[in-house]
Amino acid sequence: MRRRFSKVPRGVRRLFRLPLTRERIVRDLDEEMRTHLAMRVDDLRAAGVSEDDANAEARRRFGDHDAFRDYANRRAAKIARRAGIRASLSAWWQDVHFANRQFRRAPAFTALAVLTLALGIGANAAIFSVVHRLLLDPLPYPDGNRIVMLAATRGERMDSPSAATVRAIRARTHSLEAVAAASVQATMVQTDDDQDTVYAVATPNYLKMLGVAPALGRMFTQTEARDGARVAVISYGRWQREFSGRARAIGSTVEINYLQAKDSERRRYTVVGVAPPSMALPMAPAAFNHNLHDAKPGVWLPLDLDGLNGAFPPNSYARLRPGVSVEQATKEIQGIVASSPELGAKRPTIKLMRAQDLLDGSEARMIEVLFAAVGVLLLISCANVANLLMSRAWTRRREFAVRAALGAGRSRLARQVLTESVLLAVAGGLLGIAVAWVTLRVIIALRPPALANLDGVHVETTVLLWSAAISVLTGILFGTLPALFAARGAVADVLRSETRGGSGGLATRRVRSALIVFEIALSLVLLVGAGLLVRSYIAMQRIPLGFEPRGMVSFDLIFNPSTSRDLSVRTALRNEIVDRLRAVPGVTDAAIGILPAAGLGDVTTLSTDPDPTGATRSVPEFSTIFAGSNYFRVAGIRLTEGRVPDSLAVPAQPQVPREVVINQALATRFWPDGSALNAHMHEQQDDPRSRREYIVVGVAEDVHVPGASRLARAAVLYQTPRFLSFIVRTATPDAPLVPALRAAMTSVQPAPFVQTTTIGEAFLRDSLAPTRFAMALLVAFAAVALTLATVGLYGVISYGVMQRTREIGVRVALGADPTAVARLVIGSGLRLVIMGVGIGAAGSLVATRALSGMLFGVSDGDPTTFGGITLVVTAVSLLASYVPARRALRIDPAEALRAD
Amino acid sequence: MSRDANNLLHGTLDLLVLKAVAGEPMHGFGISKWIEQRTRNELEIVDSALYKSLHRLEDAGAIDAEWGLTENNRRARYYSLTARGRQMLRVEVATWKRYVTAVSAVIEPA
Repeated sequence: MRRRFSKVPRGVRRLFRLPLTRERIVRDLDEEMRTHLAMRVDDLRAAGVSEDDANAEARRRFGDHDAFRDYANRRAAKIARRAGIRASLSAWWQDVHFANRQFRRAPAFTALAVLTLALGIGANAAIFSVVHRLLLDPLPYPDGNRIVMLAATRGERMDSPSAATVRAIRARTHSLEAVAAASVQATMVQTDDDQDTVYAVATPNYLKMLGVAPALGRMFTQTEARDGARVAVISYGRWQREFSGRARAIGSTVEINYLQAKDSERRRYTVVGVAPPSMALPMAPAAFNHNLHDAKPGVWLPLDLDGLNGAFPPNSYARLRPGVSVEQATKEIQGIVASSPELGAKRPTIKLMRAQDLLDGSEARMIEVLFAAVGVLLLISCANVANLLMSRAWTRRREFAVRAALGAGRSRLARQVLTESVLLAVAGGLLGIAVAWVTLRVIIALRPPALANLDGVHVETTVLLWSAAISVLTGILFGTLPALFAARGAVADVLRSETRGGSGGLATRRVRSALIVFEIALSLVLLVGAGLLVRSYIAMQRIPLGFEPRGMVSFDLIFNPSTSRDLSVRTALRNEIVDRLRAVPGVTDAAIGILPAAGLGDVTTLSTDPDPTGATRSVPEFSTIFAGSNYFRVAGIRLTEGRVPDSLAVPAQPQVPREVVINQALATRFWPDGSALNAHMHEQQDDPRSRREYIVVGVAEDVHVPGASRLARAAVLYQTPRFLSFIVRTATPDAPLVPALRAAMTSVQPAPFVQTTTIGEAFLRDSLAPTRFAMALLVAFAAVALTLATVGLYGVISYGVMQRTREIGVRVALGADPTAVARLVIGSGLRLVIMGVGIGAAGSLVATRALSGMLFGVSDGDPTTFGGITLVVTAVSLLASYVPARRALRIDPAEALRAD
Repeated sequence: MSRDANNLLHGTLDLLVLKAVAGEPMHGFGISKWIEQRTRNELEIVDSALYKSLHRLEDAGAIDAEWGLTENNRRARYYSLTARGRQMLRVEVATWKRYVTAVSAVIEPA
């Protein structure tokens, strides 16, 4: 059998990418079968069979024709499909390979693009993680948004439901799981050498309700709680402090002053576990107003809900079952209470409140502003990369034109550009993850104390997916724009004219200029925002506080339970403590009262007595503080009018008004037209018998603490058995004196317990922290934004110079003045800058309104900030055009004309 | 004895095809004819089954196919054994021999 092979060598088909289509495969198979049959017929004829018989025999020998045709079609489809996949895979791989080569050829471009993207994406992912935690799931517990608090409401009053009520709910509910209770016990306090610790009790399922596990050891068991076993779980902080985080903490004992109504008893508890750092009392609403709501218990003791019948029920919490809404659960629980006659006739209405809604929302606005700022940063980096890719596409027009001329389809070229963009985006995204990680660490390091639950934040998986999606989407977006322009160029035009370097396509240049204007405008907005925050931070530090926190310490104490309830005894005890504080070396003076602007004191409704026309004014949320007569002097608060009350004694007859000092804010609010002195006011109470009458004898200057509550205040100098707070002014630095001061206060009999210690200076620093935090981040964003915009502008201008090298060369050769050349270049930049600054300034006027709540001592349209920032942006932008302008001046005409 | 090749095990037909193209490249009809001659018309292969076997072997990389011209100037696909096919043939032959010996030992009492 001799034969000749067809002349197409092996592999050529693949080399030329000749399509292996389905039709072709079927055709080949058909041909093969026809040849086969023909050869069979020939063979039979040669053996002497008649033509008809030979045909029939050949067909018989072949088998089932139709079945084979089906088989052939199926096979062809399969082969074609495989070939198609292989071809697109290899084309894609080729694209990737080619892109990689392009990147290596232009390392500066690649680095710039990847870095720009990484900054935008990374900062975004970090901030998003923070926002996610603070706004969407602010409690540091798994599914924290399912944790609810049970509240008993009677009219306006809101309280913890009784243990019996909680037990009834626990027994019958289907919408709640892990009904738990916990509370801080003010009557159980231990005096350590330096620090008193607040103790808390919790039911054994409290940790389960929070959805967290002990850091070490275990939680109490139900049996231990029922039997009143002397076991304890210590807080994570205490574990770190006293045991340096070692396992020997388990089995150790803690000693507790267990304070009964009449005397105290020291009890020893065995430590069985260490609480996780996140174990805390989910905050109670302000209405529950016991001063301990933000206390951090150092030791947890077991609480048995079944054996509880006290008048002061603990706070009760539960978890909503998955898929159950607060409304559904509330309805069910109200039904349970309504159908439980054993709870008595005066049953309260039970409400459920999401624990996360009880959080302080004051940081939310700041986070929103940061989120917006970081979004702007991402926009700027997108614009910058788009710009970079477009200028690359323009530079490579010739390359594309050549490839098009060699037969590459437009879609093929566009795909190439797209591949490059997506690769850049992916690289930027990967690096962005690293940037996100670092940014998050920095944010956590800078966070104000109010954002303590940020400590557990990490770049979450959802956030990573989200930023991955952003990077791919931006890649596609950046890719299509330049690809559109790349594919639009008419091949012949490019090859003919662009070889001699014209000045770039008009459309491309317009889009790129628009992008630059957009970038400059956005950076200006960010910078103005940052500038306003910086200015208000400076203003906050400069404004008169109205008092002197430096050199001041304040203490809040709790009376020993064995202290007599008699007012005169308590007054004598207070005065004795003040005397002992004064006797401590280094102390200038001491007074009864709370740290100005810290805490709320009593919040009540205060109204003026009717004026001659019968009208009254009232303040619904009004804070009164109880203070000694030397309070204003010690605190450094100036009286603008009047005097300090003569006597602290409560008048014998309730209708005789007490003498009070009010602050300027309240005076202006109640008596805007005249003097407040000798005006009468009263405190409104539900019970008319407890109505209190006041007469204003003095007006004090307002106390401003940035970030602290701005309630109108009055210092009401009256005697009360309840409060025990002192302020101390020291001549020396105050912190080292604290142990001596505490010793002095607890040396009286019966010894009170120190609950909180506040150093004035630290208090001031903490109150400035949220603003400082927002400011630092916004300044960083704004700086990055300006850098990106400047780099972008520099790119556009220097690119313009490069494209016009020949034109400039001609001008210089024809004797153009160098300054005219420089003006030409800088002018083209200046036009963009002016437009960007104009748009940005207008945008800032709108955007900074969102900031107004965070500003202090500066208006949101502050002309100094606007003017200064505009100048900075213009100057930096001009610098970005100046560098290319200098390069233009150095152009050698001879060389420029020779160059391609 | 004439047996329908459809009753032949796939493996057996594949073995015959491999053996057929082991010498020199052959087209489908040539293979069919070669098997008939070697078995002295004892085995008659159904042609469609033969082509399916060829495709199977081609997909497995045991044989290669290329268009060529016959002595009568007809365009036909010629199949040739690849290195991989040669190894496969060796294994298949050895397996077949063990199989025959085993079956023979059962049906032919010693």
